[in-house]
This record gives sequence, C-alpha cells and structure tokens, in this order.
Amino acid sequence: MTFRQARWDEPPIWELNPPAENSEAPTVPGVPEILRRRAPVRWPELTELEVVRHYTRLSQMNFGIDTSAYPLGSCTMKYNPKVSEALARRRTAAELHPDQPVETVQGALEILWRLERALQKITGFPEVSLQPAAGAHGEFAALLMIRAYFRDRGELDRRTEILLPDTAHGTNPASAMMAGFQTKEIASKDGCVDLEHLRAEVSDRTAGFMLTNPNTAGLFESQIVEIAETVHGAGGLLYYDGANLNAILGVTNPGRMGFDVAHLNLHKTFATPHGGGGPGAGVLAAGDRLREYLPVPRVVKRGRKFALDFYRPKSIGKIKSGFGNFGLDLRAFVYILSHGEEGLKAVSRRAVLNSNYLGQKLGAFLPRPFRPLVKHEFLLSGAPLKAHGVRTLDLAKRLLDEGVHAPTIYFPSLVEEALMFEFPETESRRELDQFAAAFQRAVTDTPAHLHAAPTSLSVGRVDEVLAARQLLLSWKDLRERPGNLETLPTVGSPP
Amino acid sequence: MPRWIPGGPSDEAAMLAEIGLKSADELFRDIPKKVRLGRLGIGAGLEEIDVVRTTDKILDRNRPYSKFSSFLGGRITTPFSPAALDAILSRSEFYTSYTPYQPEASQGMLQTLFEFQSLWVELSGMDAANASLYDGATASGEALLLCHRVHEGHRFLIPASLPWEEKSVLANYAAGLPIRIEEVPYDDRTGRLDLNWIRSAVAAGDVFGALVDLPNGFGHLDEGLPEVKGLLGGAPLVATADPLALSVLEPPGAWGADIVVGEGQGFGMAPSFGGPLLGLFACRQELLRFSPGRIVGATKDREGRRAFTLTLQTREQHIRRSRATSNICTNQSLLALGFVVYASLVGPKGLAEIQGRLAEKARTLASALSTIDGLAAPRFDAPYLSAFTIALRQGSPGAFLDKLRRRKVLGGHSLADPRPGQTAPEARILASVSEATDEKDIRRYATAARAATAALKGAP
Repeated sequence: MTFRQARWDEPPIWELNPPAENSEAPTVPGVPEILRRRAPVRWPELTELEVVRHYTRLSQMNFGIDTSAYPLGSCTMKYNPKVSEALARRRTAAELHPDQPVETVQGALEILWRLERALQKITGFPEVSLQPAAGAHGEFAALLMIRAYFRDRGELDRRTEILLPDTAHGTNPASAMMAGFQTKEIASKDGCVDLEHLRAEVSDRTAGFMLTNPNTAGLFESQIVEIAETVHGAGGLLYYDGANLNAILGVTNPGRMGFDVAHLNLHKTFATPHGGGGPGAGVLAAGDRLREYLPVPRVVKRGRKFALDFYRPKSIGKIKSGFGNFGLDLRAFVYILSHGEEGLKAVSRRAVLNSNYLGQKLGAFLPRPFRPLVKHEFLLSGAPLKAHGVRTLDLAKRLLDEGVHAPTIYFPSLVEEALMFEFPETESRRELDQFAAAFQRAVTDTPAHLHAAPTSLSVGRVDEVLAARQLLLSWKDLRERPGNLETLPTVGSPP
Repeated sequence: MPRWIPGGPSDEAAMLAEIGLKSADELFRDIPKKVRLGRLGIGAGLEEIDVVRTTDKILDRNRPYSKFSSFLGGRITTPFSPAALDAILSRSEFYTSYTPYQPEASQGMLQTLFEFQSLWVELSGMDAANASLYDGATASGEALLLCHRVHEGHRFLIPASLPWEEKSVLANYAAGLPIRIEEVPYDDRTGRLDLNWIRSAVAAGDVFGALVDLPNGFGHLDEGLPEVKGLLGGAPLVATADPLALSVLEPPGAWGADIVVGEGQGFGMAPSFGGPLLGLFACRQELLRFSPGRIVGATKDREGRRAFTLTLQTREQHIRRSRATSNICTNQSLLALGFVVYASLVGPKGLAEIQGRLAEKARTLASALSTIDGLAAPRFDAPYLSAFTIALRQGSPGAFLDKLRRRKVLGGHSLADPRPGQTAPEARILASVSEATDEKDIRRYATAARAATAALKGAP
C-alpha cells in the first residue's frame, strides 16, 4: 500500500486574519470599571468557511481509528460504533443540565442505573459509581476511598505504602502519590509479579497493592489467588487497574479474583472514542469493604422512579462536577446493549486471538521477551536492531509510513527497546496480515530508511528536544520571543 | 449482535490452527479454574434498530431543558451550539484518535491543542496553558496541589461562597497532603470576600495559597479581587474564571493571579448531564515545570518545517511515575478542540456581544423578580453578568423550584450542600439566563415565582 497523508502547510489560525492592534474593548452592562477588560481578546475574526476549512484540513493531518489501524498497547483502540455517536447527540441526551430536577432526567438516571448494574455483573462487585472522568481519575478516587477506610479503622498513620509491580502503568504510582501514599515497586519474574518479593515486602505498613491483570506485558497473572491471599493476609487491600479488562470479559473478573476495588476505562473496553486524548470515562467498582466510600450522589431506584442519593455519610464526596461523563456512559450502555453477554465474551475471545495470532507472526522478526501465550497485547524487544544502529523509535516512525499507527514504545521499562502491540477484536484477520506485511517491510528496511522515517506524513521527524528547550507554548510566546522564530519558518517558505 | 467483530467460526478456527491451538478455550488456559466465571446474567445482544428503539425509549423519559423556560446555569451552562461546531467535532480523524504520542501522525490535533492553549493564554492573561484537564473543579484541585509544590505552608484559603461541589472536590484533591482548607467569609450585603480576614489569616502565617472565583459562587463579580494578591505575602493566587466573562473582564493575570483555571464547556458544548466537561488551566512561566497535564509546544521537523509536539513530558506520570506533577493521562482534547472552534466561529467581538446580551437579559430578569414579595432578587448588592442569587424568605429551594417546574420553568438550582450534616445559612437559588432566554421566559418566571411565593407563605 502506498500511503500519503495530507500535507496542507496550514498556518495557525491567527495567521489567517491577524487581529487589528489597538482596538477598543466593548462595554457591557454590569461590568465594574476595576474589572473591565481594557484590550479586546486577541483572536482573529474569520468567516465560518475559513474556520471550517482550517479545522477540516487539520483533521486530515491526524490518524484516527477510522483511517488507520492503531495498535497502541494498553490503549485498546477498538472501533467506536457510529450508532453510539448518533444516540449521544440526541437532544434528549445532550440538552440535560446536571442541576435539572430528577423528575425531568429519569431517562438519564435509568441509563446510569442500568449501566451500573451491567458493570456490577461484569466486574463482580456489588456497587459501581460512574463518576470518574477517566481511568487515572478513578485510580485517585479509589485510593482516597482506601485512605478513608483505613482512617475509619485507625490504621492510616501506619498504612502509608502502596505496592505496585514494576510493570504498572505510570498513572498508578502517580495516583498513589497524589492520594498521599508512598509507593514501593515489586519486581517481576518472567513478566509477572514475583510472589516471593511481594511476600517479603507486604507488612502492616501496606495500604494496598495495585495490579492490572492481565498485566502490561500482556500476561495473565496466574498466581492471582496467592497474590490476593498475601495482600489480604497483611491487612492490605487489592486494587484492580481495569485498563486491560478487554481480555477477560465473561472469563473472569476482579471481584472473583479477590480484588477489593477497581477502576475501568469506558474509553477502552467499552468503545467510547478517545477524542485525541480525551474525554475518557472512568468507572469505580467496589466490594463490601469499600462500597460505602464511593463518591456521592449514588443513583438509586425507589419503586419505579430513579433518584440521586446524597445520604452516604462515609462517602468521600465529590471528585468532579456533575455525575460523571454521561455522554460517554451512554455510549458504553449502547455498546453493552448491542453485544449482550455472548457478544461481550466474543469480544475478549477475538481480542486475545488477534493478539496471539499477530504476536506469533511478528515474533518471526523480533524476540518476544516472555511466554508466548498472551492476552490482549504482546511485547517485542527491538534490542537486536541496535547492532545496526537502529532504535525502536526508528521502527515506530517507519511504521507510520505504512499508513498504520505505531505501537506503544519503551513501555514497560523492564523490556529493552520495548514495543507493545494491542489489536482489539474489531480488527480483521486481513488487517492483521496487512499489518504483519507492513511490519516486515519496516523491520527489514535499510537503517538509512529507518532513520529517515517518516517521509509520507504532513511533517518529517519532529524535533522533540528543541521543543523542550525553546518552550514555545502559545501564540503569545511566538510573538514575544521572536529570537526563537528563526527556527520556525512561516508558512509557504521552502523547507 | 452487531457486525463489529470480524470473521466467524471458520475464520477463528483458521487463526487458531495457525498458532497451534485446537480451540479458543486454550487461549485462556493460563486463567485458573478457581477464578473462572459461569454466566454473567446480561441479556442477549440487540440489532442496531432495536438498540436505537430501546435507547430512545429510555431517553424519551428525559425532558431536555430546551423544553422549558430554563434558568439553569452556574459553572455548567446551556449555550447555543453553532452547527459548524458539531460538524468539526464529528470529524472522526479527531474523535477516534488517541493522545498524540507520535507527533508526525497527529499534527492536526497537536496544532489544534496549541491553538487552544494560545486562546486560554489570551483570555486568562497567563504565560502558558496546558492542553486541558477534566473539568473546572478538578482544575482547581490541581491548582491547589501546584501551589503546595511551590510555596511553603499548610493553609489554603477558599471563598466560603464557593459552590459546595467544588469545595468537596478541593477537599479530595487535598486529602493526601498535611494541609487545611480554610473558608474566607463574605460580606452579607455584597457577597464580597472579607479582605481583612485574609489579611489576618496571612499575618498568622503558614498560608501557601488562595483561590478566588470570577464570577463567584453567587454569580456575582467581586470588585475586591484585584486587592487579594497584595495580601498574600508572596503566596500564589488561583483564580477560577468563566471564559465567556473573560471576553469582557480584565484577565486575572492583570490583577495578580498566578494560576487561572476555569470550566470551558460553555463554549458551545452541550452540558450532557454534566459530562464531558472541559478543565482550563494556565499559569505563570515560573510555575510551568511544576504544573499538571499535557502541554503542546512548537518546534520544527527535520526539514525545518514548523511542527508541534507534546513537550515537558518529564513532568508526567508515564515518565516520572510517583514523582510526576499529576496523574493526568487522559484529558479533554476533543472539548479543547470544541472550545477553540467555538471561539473562532463566534470571534472575539461575538463573544463579548453574547456576554453583553446575557448581561442585559439577567438585568431584565432581576427587575421582573425584584417586585415579588418573599424573594430577594438579586440577594446580593453586587455587579453580575449572566447569573445572580435569589434568596427565599419562606419555603425551601426544593419546594419553590418544584412549583416553578410545574409551570414549565426551571428556575435555577439550590446553592445548599445536599449531603448529611450540612446546613444552609438561608434558602438560596442561583438563577442564570442563556442565549435562549427571551422576554416570554422571563415573564413566565416572574408569574410562576409570584404564585410559588404566595403558596409558600407561612411555610418554614
């Protein structure tokens, strides 16, 4: 396949019609003199067509699932169904204010209630809250719940440590830090938690152990029962990072595995779109120890009516405005409604099959660090390429020239020059075979070509070091620090 | 079941054979029997037509605010959305993409986020903005954490008038720190922050930062805000500001704010029952390296062409882990796109004109309500733009608003904290106008409010 991305040389929007200097700010009734804006907001005046064309062109310089396979490991880039988009745009879904009387939002509350019930069944937990804005936000909230739990038990002064594997997503230690815990890493053995190390590290200082299962090496932690016993035996709680849930729908779940609390990412497993980095939608699911601490309000059903219950004395309170990302919750509801039980099981079966199928194919070119049976994702090591002066980064950039997105790279750090691939269930065998062929062309290409990649996108290899050095972060910077502009040719000048 | 999963039994069998497995069950043989499940108890999947029917049937039990004379507002508003905005937000190259980790493949979103950052810098008067946070309330929480990172102390000051939800979110963001959040009292007549109280609090020592809001939790503008920074003895000042109001108000950076946060949903994006929203965050240059979230910077590609990329990533969780400045991974990129598209469609003059029209309508509403016995509207003697507080002399906000609803008026929302153990000083309602508000809506509000207060006379 020959791939060429659109290259529009589209200037920043202010260059389309630079605003006039020295214009007067408009006056508005009610604005006291001391707070009145002196100069108008500096932004261009444009026609609707100019704005539409500008952002349409920019959109054409962007990979999305609808244009390209997107095998980012741990990101679960599956197809975002169009029916969900259509339904989320209904006036009966969008034109709802969170402060409307409950009598006028019975449908929204029913969606939330029914989605919570479905997620209870999927996670194996008795109670679910849809309030977190994203997965990491759910992690933070769950850790606050763990704090509140140990505070109520008078153990918070002592239980100050959160343990996590060295393969954990970066959000886990960052969330633990934000919630006021210290973190301690548990070593991996053959890509999974080293149970002996965990046993040596748990103590009466342990508040919890954060684990994703299957983990970020794509491996199922088969010793999960022993892990749960170890953590609970020390009086700690077990936290489930649900980023990788797509592998185990209907096969197992965090409740059954012995976890006490979990977060899920609706924008991964339940196919809500990632939006170029967000919005996401998080889920908190809690077992008996922690359910009373979930954020308020809780959606409840009283007779045939739905209501919001704020009477939860142990609740941690609010973690964001509104009741969660309802627009995304609705899409996840539609996704579950569409699949049903058998469909959800088929999702995981096919996702795991895709991953093993492609893992075997790509394993012919680069070593696979751990056991071959994986779940939703698999790892390769780009280390052998170093002998040719080629890095994993070069291979990733070369893959972009094939019209496919690169995998996650340099994570987890325990694998040298790691490449992490996840092809969710919505990718066909034909797509996988085409990707394998593209990968073969890329990995066997000459070092010179690999270093030169990408060459078919709207820009060539981007200088990230320069970006961090000159720190031009806005139009204001571009205006006020013209010395740096020498490195930035304006539009139209020859490259 | 939908056609979202490819292949079928024969496809599956062929793939399994190729990897040397006899059945799909073998794919899960590493999962111990002890943790395996039977049935989940979720119903069968539906065809698209039935999914749409079922979902619409549920959604039809909602009554959108557009079916009422709605005066709902506050931090989350009910803006008109130009059709061109949704046309851009529906570009699936944008909405089906991920965080732009590979900048060469994602220049469209990166340039958009650079433009978004630039716009919030212009509105806020700050040096640098990030590429968005979850919502205005969590942006305030992140701002509190940033203050603590850069300034010594254990006390953080917030207005007593702050909406209860934001107070609760702030308390949660502060829960992991050994600090105390203290509420600055307000003047009962004007709602203005008690500057003398702030002065003595700072004199007592240990204050590492303060937060103010514009408009405040009562919907009003506090003319004392420009004096606050001078009272803090060098501690950073956070301002939560409404972006539409900033089209006509001096940027908080001009009166000393070090961090400016806000809620950006009101730029043309439907409230969607409170999510997704858009957290705005900007700060002074010297705070940047301690600040949360994704940041996009300008650079060049190998051939010297202008290009954009995520930068300052060494602050972030995927690199710095437990020493990161925040756990932010997902943010609200698509809404950041909506924010900058809306502002560009409307234009800077248009933003100020919208704010001007809202200010006039709010005045009309206040004057229509001011003659009603049993109401104080506005409750506070202070300037306002789109919203103001109403106090009820009799009855609860719930009873009052319920009577209004029966006359097809959504009269605003109660300012009371609904959680157990919370008491409100007085029955207060925040009423807000929107672009859809017309004179008929205002008359209807006045008529309904007059009837409601009469009916509630003598109520506790």
